[in-house]
Amino acid sequence: MSDDLHLDGNGIAGLLGEALLFDPTTLLRRCRSCGEQHALGEHRAYRGAGVVLRCPNCGDAGVVIGIQEDRLVVRAHGAYTVARAPAEAG
Amino acid sequence: MATIVAVVAETPRARTLVLDVPDWPGHRAGQHVDVRLTAEDGYQAQRSYSIASAPELDALELTVELVEDGEVSPYLVEEARAGDRFEVRGPIGGHFTWSADEGGPLLLVGGGSGLVPLMAMLRHRAARRSDAEARVLISARSRAEALYVAELAALEPRAGLRLAWTYTRRPPDGWTGWARRVDAAMLAELGPPPEAMARCFVCGPTPFVETVTALLVDAGHEPALIHAERFGPTGG
Amino acid sequence: MPPISRGFHGRRRADVDASRLPPGQYLTTDFPVLSAGPTPLTPTTGWSLALDGAVDEARRWSWSDLMALPQETVTVDIHCVTKWSKLDTTWTGVSLDTLLDGVRTDASFAVAWSDGGYTTNLPLADLRGGRAWIVHAYGGAPLEPEHGGPARLLVPHLYFWKSAKWVRGITLTLDDQPGFWESAGYHDYGDPWREQRYWGD
Repeated sequence: MSDDLHLDGNGIAGLLGEALLFDPTTLLRRCRSCGEQHALGEHRAYRGAGVVLRCPNCGDAGVVIGIQEDRLVVRAHGAYTVARAPAEAG
Repeated sequence: MATIVAVVAETPRARTLVLDVPDWPGHRAGQHVDVRLTAEDGYQAQRSYSIASAPELDALELTVELVEDGEVSPYLVEEARAGDRFEVRGPIGGHFTWSADEGGPLLLVGGGSGLVPLMAMLRHRAARRSDAEARVLISARSRAEALYVAELAALEPRAGLRLAWTYTRRPPDGWTGWARRVDAAMLAELGPPPEAMARCFVCGPTPFVETVTALLVDAGHEPALIHAERFGPTGG
Repeated sequence: MPPISRGFHGRRRADVDASRLPPGQYLTTDFPVLSAGPTPLTPTTGWSLALDGAVDEARRWSWSDLMALPQETVTVDIHCVTKWSKLDTTWTGVSLDTLLDGVRTDASFAVAWSDGGYTTNLPLADLRGGRAWIVHAYGGAPLEPEHGGPARLLVPHLYFWKSAKWVRGITLTLDDQPGFWESAGYHDYGDPWREQRYWGD
């Protein structure tokens, strides 16, 4: 397969930064299980071996975070919405 | 990294630590920090604590309440003194925040040390001379365990602010106010009514927050306007 | 290097037999409650334990079936990946050797699954040899829901997340299928003495 339509990820570093570098508690997660959308800050956090964020409506385990000394492993389900900062005027 | 510059006794079980944190990036009222302690042998323990101070204050203040059988809070409440150092990470949390620029009306409901992040909002409101309408309901076990009583009383004459306490274990002698757990009648009397579309901030132990948020939803408050912060049994 | 917090020692005891503490663990005397989700409250009426997957014939035990099997009381040390260890905990229940007796299978692995959706995987061999139990009592009293009651898996030679609370079934599998924590960075096997906490350990 070959195509000349793609960039590498570095080419959209700005968009990636906008999509991934945000205040995580305000990130909206649409639950794959019940379809409701809630900010991560509204999810219910449980502490087991790591941390689980569960949908406040249905309890679906939306985000599971493995906590290690030198890294975090994140497993996430659902669709996530990031509010974009308004464009600078002028 | 934080250095304790002063320690203020708030109640027999709670202290405010005034911290110097070089390069502190500033915070919004309602946010918290993670505190990490390190023992001489490298053992570490970490807990989250709400910021009590307004963003306008130069120092960072945490109010910490003792958790029975806790690990970090006994150190911070009973052992730590000026000059001691520990790691502070933050500020954390953008969901449970309020800025005077956002205006009112506000309904703040705090149980126990759940008052701490709400106090940051009230101090911020005062520092900015905001007249945003704010109703505040504080649930404490007794007057001796209530936080910031004198400072809150001094805030109250300001326009638009109404404070109410309820004492769930031992009300002060001669107390004529509420002396029961937060209930629907209490919230209805305090207001604002759901039609006012107030932003509601509820903070406290998990069962307290579950109860209050359910009462607010049942009363007709818009769920999207209710912000909750719980602290659970693994705290300490 | 993080700053030393003068006077902070943590919730640990110094007078511990070091030979019983795996590396990186500290001793606790209370029983911390850690959970990946809300505590299900499952009555024993209607409760059952399934053994299914790659077996000759699926099996199911009701609560009274389980109670009618030979009971064992064991005193073991338990080790949580969050670094607490608790010594001399006493449990009562049924050995997996009893439940697996007569089961014909080509499986090399098992997945334990629980009320609430939790799963954890382990080699089938680790369920045998007097090293794993379905327990329903702790310290002689019925197992509290917050500690996994009415019944939990107990596999004390592995980190305690392998000892699934609220267990309702064990599925035998031909290949290894990572469970809830194992698919979020935690070690597939989890031997505390080799400090197998995380992927790559």
